[in-house]
Amino acid sequence: MDSFQENPATIITLPANLDHLWVEQSRIFDRREAGLILDFSNTARIDSVALCAIRLLQETMKARNGRLVLRHVSDEHLALLESSSMPLEPAQKTVHSKDEIFTSIGGRIIDARNNCVVALSVLVEMLYWGTIGVLKKKEFRKGVVGEQMYLLGYKALGIVGLLSFLIGMVLAIQVAIQLKDYGASVFLGPLIGITMIREMGPLLTAVILAGRTGSATTAEIGTMGVGEELDALRTMGINPIQFMVVPKFWAITLTMPVLSMIGTGMGILGGWLVGIFYLHLSSAVFWEQLSENLQTEDVFAGFIKSVVFSWLIIWIGSYFGFRVRGSAESVGRETTASVVACIFIIIVADAAFSFIL
Amino acid sequence: MNPSSQKPIVAVTGISVRYGDVRVLSEVSVNVVASEIRVILGMSGCGKTTLLKTMVGLLRPTAGSVRLFDVAIGEQDDPATIAVLKKAGVLFQNGALLGSLTVEENVALPLQMHTALPPALIAEIVAYKLAQVKLSGTGPLYPAELSGGMRKRAALARALALDPPLLFCDEPSAGLDPATAAGLDRLLLDLRRTLGITVVVVTHELRSIETIADNVSFLHGGSVLFDGTLAEARNFTRGPVSEFFSRAAPPSPTGEGGFRYGFIVERGS
Repeated sequence: MDSFQENPATIITLPANLDHLWVEQSRIFDRREAGLILDFSNTARIDSVALCAIRLLQETMKARNGRLVLRHVSDEHLALLESSSMPLEPAQKTVHSKDEIFTSIGGRIIDARNNCVVALSVLVEMLYWGTIGVLKKKEFRKGVVGEQMYLLGYKALGIVGLLSFLIGMVLAIQVAIQLKDYGASVFLGPLIGITMIREMGPLLTAVILAGRTGSATTAEIGTMGVGEELDALRTMGINPIQFMVVPKFWAITLTMPVLSMIGTGMGILGGWLVGIFYLHLSSAVFWEQLSENLQTEDVFAGFIKSVVFSWLIIWIGSYFGFRVRGSAESVGRETTASVVACIFIIIVADAAFSFIL
Repeated sequence: MNPSSQKPIVAVTGISVRYGDVRVLSEVSVNVVASEIRVILGMSGCGKTTLLKTMVGLLRPTAGSVRLFDVAIGEQDDPATIAVLKKAGVLFQNGALLGSLTVEENVALPLQMHTALPPALIAEIVAYKLAQVKLSGTGPLYPAELSGGMRKRAALARALALDPPLLFCDEPSAGLDPATAAGLDRLLLDLRRTLGITVVVVTHELRSIETIADNVSFLHGGSVLFDGTLAEARNFTRGPVSEFFSRAAPPSPTGEGGFRYGFIVERGS
């Protein structure tokens, strides 16, 4: 009957306390005999590691046509060993057939299309409720815009001002080195001024706010989604976009141009300092040259950019917030994605503006 | 009047709901009539919360329909759906109070959004609602400053702010100590007695079910296994319903399915 010859070497007498230490020390999985007998005569207790080890040993022995015998095992221990709490069949790895690959690609295309639809619907709702909707509905909480302006605008003032000042200085030093060689130092004012007003001021402010406000918006809306707060709003007949996004939309629309202006001013100030102390320009020449060369269109372009960038920040931040599903991990993932997408789209929009404005 | 002859306030007809490829509810039908306390019960993961979310329009069924007050629940931005949802209060499992607002601001929110009442009157109503759930004095606190039970009661005050004729509660006593849970149950019974509201409760707390339920719908594996009065459910003698009410554990897989690992056993000496 037995396919193996019983001898003392094939009999393993188990200890009274059959635990993970025994599993580690016995090197039971290194045994290569055709059959093994586990003797439970002394065993009073089995922990879960030893339980799973014996189950795995049974499966391993079966797989190589071996034979594992449990000798003198109590009914209680046998019941534990046999309880079907884990799958006997290992999970099959999914092997993609050609059809499944096409299904997967199709699924991704449909997902991408759905995501575009959701993103556009957030944009349309934000613009609608932020403009026509505000006039039509009274559902606009008083004081919230002011609170958001403080959070989104005032709190970002320091970092925007400081970074713009430093960028203005760096930019001016790089330009000044070249201008000095050509004896064209007087053009530092218009160069720095127009670059900051048209380009760097709005762009730098937008990038800072994308990291600050965009991520905060995603995290806030996402956390509300995880905590069922968005569901609660919907069941109260309150549109979450109207409630959450519109105050931020107005706050950022009002504060971003101001922040951008302050950032631009600080950047020009940095350039002016370089002009005075590095190129030894007179202050009057710096400002005179700047005012002579500055066009109204430059100021207009900077203003339009800052408004559009502010909308992009709130739109993308909100969209990724509404994408959050289920867990805190999802909040982190979408927040990161939001910042990356926000900065990318702002730079793409800036490139587009370079051709239009 | 026989409840079955009354027109249902909540009419769920043959709904199926899927999460991706997983079918969570399959052809579920439940009718709830006026002033009834209907408990939807079942083991964890049987689809109770999904059913409740479908009833209030947060999930769209892949088949079947949901009607509240004889109005079909459609998309969330559908004006008819929004209008009918204003007649229903929802108490979420963890309260779902808005963390950025104080307790009184949370309770006042539906009143500010959906009525033209003067602020002084809204403040009075908020104080009354908070007293109703025994939370007087907690108005200026933020949800994070409240205990779990207090958060649920504050959320109930918000759900009741507009005096809705219909209230949905998702696991109202989950995670609460027995005294607080019993207090919430009493409150629901009082609300039904004094205001005649209809209540749909999702729970698996047997003590709570036995206290408040008029009728029960037992979900099992995404389908309604039993639908009837609490007394009928208690007398049901077969399967999961009987096990649920007798607090019996389901038979172990080993006992039913036989030994699966197929160990060879030697009993002799």
